[in-house]
Amino acid sequence: MTTRRDVLRFAGASAALAGCGRGRASGTDGRIERDVAGAASSPAPRTAPVPRRTLGQTGASVSILGLGGSHLGGMPDDAEAIRVVHTAIDAGINFFDNAWEYHDGHSEEILGRALAGKRDQVFLMTKVCTHGRGADVALAQLEDSLRRLGTDHLDLWQVHECVYDNDPALHYAAGGVLDALARAKQQGKVRFVGFTGHKDPKIHLEMLQRGFAFDTAQMPLNAFDAGFRSFERQVVPELVRRRMGVIGMKSLGGQGQPVRQGAVAPEEAIRYAMSIPGVSVTVSGVDSMEVLEQNLAIARGFTPMPEAERQALRARLAEAAGDGHFELYKTTTYYDGKVGREQHGYPPHENLPL
Amino acid sequence: MPIPLRPFGHTDQKISCVGLGGHHLGDFATYGEAERVVHDAVDAGIHFFDNCWEYHNGKSEDWLGRALAGRRDKVFLMTKVCTHGRDASLAMRMLEESLRRLKTDHLDLWQVHGVGFGNDPELAYRKGGVLEALEQAKRDGKVRFVGFTGHKDPEVHLRMVQMGFPFDAVQMPLNVFDASFRSFEAMVLPELVRRGIAPLGMKPCAGKADAIKQGLVTGPEMLRYAMSLPVATTICGIDSRAILDQVVQVASHFEPMAAEEADALRAKCKVPAGDGRYELYKVSLAFDNPEARRAHSFPVDPKQKEVSEEEKQIMGAP
Repeated sequence: MTTRRDVLRFAGASAALAGCGRGRASGTDGRIERDVAGAASSPAPRTAPVPRRTLGQTGASVSILGLGGSHLGGMPDDAEAIRVVHTAIDAGINFFDNAWEYHDGHSEEILGRALAGKRDQVFLMTKVCTHGRGADVALAQLEDSLRRLGTDHLDLWQVHECVYDNDPALHYAAGGVLDALARAKQQGKVRFVGFTGHKDPKIHLEMLQRGFAFDTAQMPLNAFDAGFRSFERQVVPELVRRRMGVIGMKSLGGQGQPVRQGAVAPEEAIRYAMSIPGVSVTVSGVDSMEVLEQNLAIARGFTPMPEAERQALRARLAEAAGDGHFELYKTTTYYDGKVGREQHGYPPHENLPL
Repeated sequence: MPIPLRPFGHTDQKISCVGLGGHHLGDFATYGEAERVVHDAVDAGIHFFDNCWEYHNGKSEDWLGRALAGRRDKVFLMTKVCTHGRDASLAMRMLEESLRRLKTDHLDLWQVHGVGFGNDPELAYRKGGVLEALEQAKRDGKVRFVGFTGHKDPEVHLRMVQMGFPFDAVQMPLNVFDASFRSFEAMVLPELVRRGIAPLGMKPCAGKADAIKQGLVTGPEMLRYAMSLPVATTICGIDSRAILDQVVQVASHFEPMAAEEADALRAKCKVPAGDGRYELYKVSLAFDNPEARRAHSFPVDPKQKEVSEEEKQIMGAP
């Protein structure tokens, strides 16, 4: 079994090789984030709650920082993962991300265990992973997700990883995943529905333009994106116009590569992402208590970055952003998951790492 | 029957309607096998030879140069320059290396290799960029014609053309899967024809020929589809005598595919083409050489041929 985590490890080694032809990356993506956040400073008191925003027309109030689900299932110690969830809730984080396919279900199981007795304190999202298959597959996955998460309903259920050019057509096909979204909403098993993807604004726009009434969409939002196949420029305004909830991810470029290479400071990167007009929540992967504390420090101390400062940052990064090497999720197959590859006839990570 | 010749854009030059790809040449286990294929190809009437400064870290050019000893005048010799955004001065040094390896004092065609990253056109056109080297080399008589190549994104090709440099040739993937997915055929080919730039097709079997191996289409029908487009030549990767025979067979008996047959083939491939699974060169880095990746600060893949060969050169054979 190849997990996303294994893939990221491999990729870390590749990145090191690319950089200088010798040596290895010093650790997992989690550690990169720790280094990253450690370099930041935030004056906010530890007791200040993480600010909240309204998630578009859903009216739901969500924390500006969300907890990514993939990393939870990859932590070596389940008890530590559960402590991370509890600490996050105590600090005011209520947006929890997950996906049916993360670590073959383990990410959902851990989160379900952690949320026992706390389900009502959170806005719970997970994603469905049909990758082009029918509504029946989607509804079976929904039952899996509900069981693992120990709940009878989700706050948000999103179509995962719309990244292949023909995904919109497959999802909109009669009997496709969107039928399942509508049915699950009708049955009260999910309150809101949306879709996610990390590849191409054109795919997001096609998902919207074909007309389904999504409540939310999730996408990479960071200071590099603004200068390269930009979700911020092309998709966010359309979501705002439709009064949809905007969920950002990959605020540090996926694995913090731009920070590690000195192109951007972590706090300005995260502040930039959280300051994009229209964005409600920024989902961030956390795989240890230290990373959580450091992300919390940035979120607690958050003040929106003024537009002039945002523009200056975009201008500073425009050249580095131009070929997409800081956004490998757009330019390579590196972040495309196993289930999607299988359904789309792509080689596995071992044979097509990038 | 001889292999037909076609005009090279708006020039008086004629080239064979199929060409021999340089990357596969370096894949042969021994020089002797590569040499035999080059000689057999020339004898069969294939005289368009593709190559590239970075293929197999220079081995492809070395072997072609050796194999063409005494035959240089019979071929139309092309190679590519691999600045990937870097300066004209580097390009000129690469040209000297290519000429030395290919054992010639001039190229018939010199092309900017691997244009496909989002900022490649801007980097090529900037002051001191690679296009200045193309002009210089032409002025110096070291190259007769110039062009660019890429396998990634028709929008990048189009921008490169529309920014106005007088390219003589442009190379791109043209095959029945491309027809329905981020299509060079639909977006770039008509613009080249309109401008009188010689279109050079490559990847007629969509790279690694997965669709053929899976029985979806046959090699000859894929090649015929590609050759039936308004191109000057179709460059084929040839890694065995059997494949050379197949290419020669199709080319020497070539009749353009009837519109109905082409439509039917396109229709059959449209759905499987839709997510890019048969054109991994457009959707992944798998076909991007380490030279390109490093110049653009992308990670390299230790399993890629050029990387493992480089490793062997540094570490010695295992």
